Amino acid sequence: MTMDTTATGVSVRGLVRSYGTRRALAGIDLDLGPGVTGLLGRNGAGKTTLLRCLATDLEATGGEVRVLGRDPEQAADRTEIRRRMGYLPQSPSFYPHFTVFGLLDYVAVLKELGGRRERHDEVRRAMRRVDLYDRRHSRVRRLSGGMRQRLGLASALLGDPELLLLDEPTIGLDPEQRIRFRDLVSELAARSTVVLSTHQIEDVAALCRRVLCLDAGRVVFDGTPDELVSRARGRVWEQGSRPAEGVTSWRLADGRYRVLVPEGTENPDSTAGVPVEPSLEDAYLLFTGAGRKTR
Amino acid sequence: MSWHLTHDQLHQYAAHTADDVTAMSAEAHLMHCARCRDLLPADEAWLDRSWANLRDIVDRPRRGPLERLLSVLGLRENTAKLLAATPQLYRAWLTATVLVLATALTVAHELPRGSLLFSFTAPVVPLLGVALAYGRWVDPAHSLTSVTPLAGYRLLFLRTSAVLVPALTLCTAAAALMPSTSTLWEAVFWLLPALAMVAGCLSLSRWMPLSLAGGLLGAGWLLTVGVLGIAEELDPLLLFSPTAQSGWAAALTLLAGAILLRMRTV
Repeated sequence: MTMDTTATGVSVRGLVRSYGTRRALAGIDLDLGPGVTGLLGRNGAGKTTLLRCLATDLEATGGEVRVLGRDPEQAADRTEIRRRMGYLPQSPSFYPHFTVFGLLDYVAVLKELGGRRERHDEVRRAMRRVDLYDRRHSRVRRLSGGMRQRLGLASALLGDPELLLLDEPTIGLDPEQRIRFRDLVSELAARSTVVLSTHQIEDVAALCRRVLCLDAGRVVFDGTPDELVSRARGRVWEQGSRPAEGVTSWRLADGRYRVLVPEGTENPDSTAGVPVEPSLEDAYLLFTGAGRKTR
Repeated sequence: MSWHLTHDQLHQYAAHTADDVTAMSAEAHLMHCARCRDLLPADEAWLDRSWANLRDIVDRPRRGPLERLLSVLGLRENTAKLLAATPQLYRAWLTATVLVLATALTVAHELPRGSLLFSFTAPVVPLLGVALAYGRWVDPAHSLTSVTPLAGYRLLFLRTSAVLVPALTLCTAAAALMPSTSTLWEAVFWLLPALAMVAGCLSLSRWMPLSLAGGLLGAGWLLTVGVLGIAEELDPLLLFSPTAQSGWAAALTLLAGAILLRMRTV
């Protein structure tokens, strides 16, 4: 497979990242372009490691990576990638004694953004985009968890990045803020490549035109949300009796059971229930390996 | 308003050709008369820029005392901002450094051979500061800042210099106040081992976290001092002998060269 080295997105071939003897990424191939791509997977599936490799925060142990057409292993390329990329890490932390404005101004200096006036204008623009402008002189330690998450998002947005890597961006946001976040990401996706790692299936359904499911450091599904749902058709059942051991199921509000039957197996209680239309969440659970577990 | 400026008066005022009395009168009138102000020709772009600058001055974040001090000392605004934002552990280290050196001075003045405490702690003071200056485990905002263009060696060296300047100043001042110090050499005998260990710490940071590298080297130094102190025929002060100083100088040169080479190639 040839590398897509265009300057707009991400291209990865055989990406391996190990921590000691454990392989967090076990040979990833992918090409990402403008639009929103969702990364789904259980904890430990490799989502954060993949984002950190793309964000130049971690070096790959093996394989080839090109971000915005550049090689992150080369110092000059790495710096150029960092100039054109925004990254929101999982659970970002900050200097608590800084004000919102002061912290973003500090990050803007690190991002080498313009002269003082232009830099301050860019910081104000980022604060307005995440609805933090009214709190610009508040100390970080006085912000709620949701506000801190928006502060992290604002820091990622500084400099109007061409590539935006967001690791669990909607944790701690209330429903209204999540809707604002979706609006913002949709607007950015019109001209940027956005990669979103999340456990919030609703965000993926609302935002992503492409979904990657990771399991044990490998891509186990790559397609649209509709394709993911269609792969789960015939594997989701509802029945009145408690299902047999060995399949994933949960009790619904009406007392019935929803059962997920993994690929390659049959529902042992198929006479007791009926197949139903799968949701994106059902499909996610099936493809990220949850369907292989006994509950 | 019962009267207004004539066209000629407005034109002369705008062109700065009105005499002083007319100009002062026109200015006083314009302060209160929106109609005449509207007739005054204005450079809209200049006005917009001026308002934007004014808004920025009123609204921008207030600079802390350290940032202002660094600016007064001649540092560029961005550099002062980056140095003033160093992690809180840095401040704790600075406080600890002052306390340790004050203790070493007191001991040196009160106890026989008390100056040994300073001899063995001074070389590790800058090392510990550097170890606490940069990295995921010591900097709460590291995950945000580590992927910015200035991260890596540029920010690391900026923070290292923020450690070395106060550390070397404080250690030199403490050495000068030691009861046994009478020559320049006696005031700076600790300097080469200190710098060599800092360079070693920066070199090791290629393979391990900076804090771990600093901790290992500091522990190695104290262990060596302890072993030399226990051994019957050896003296810990051998670490500062002319031969040892040549070794420290050689190590410093090699390590600094390796760091510079790495900076150019990576």
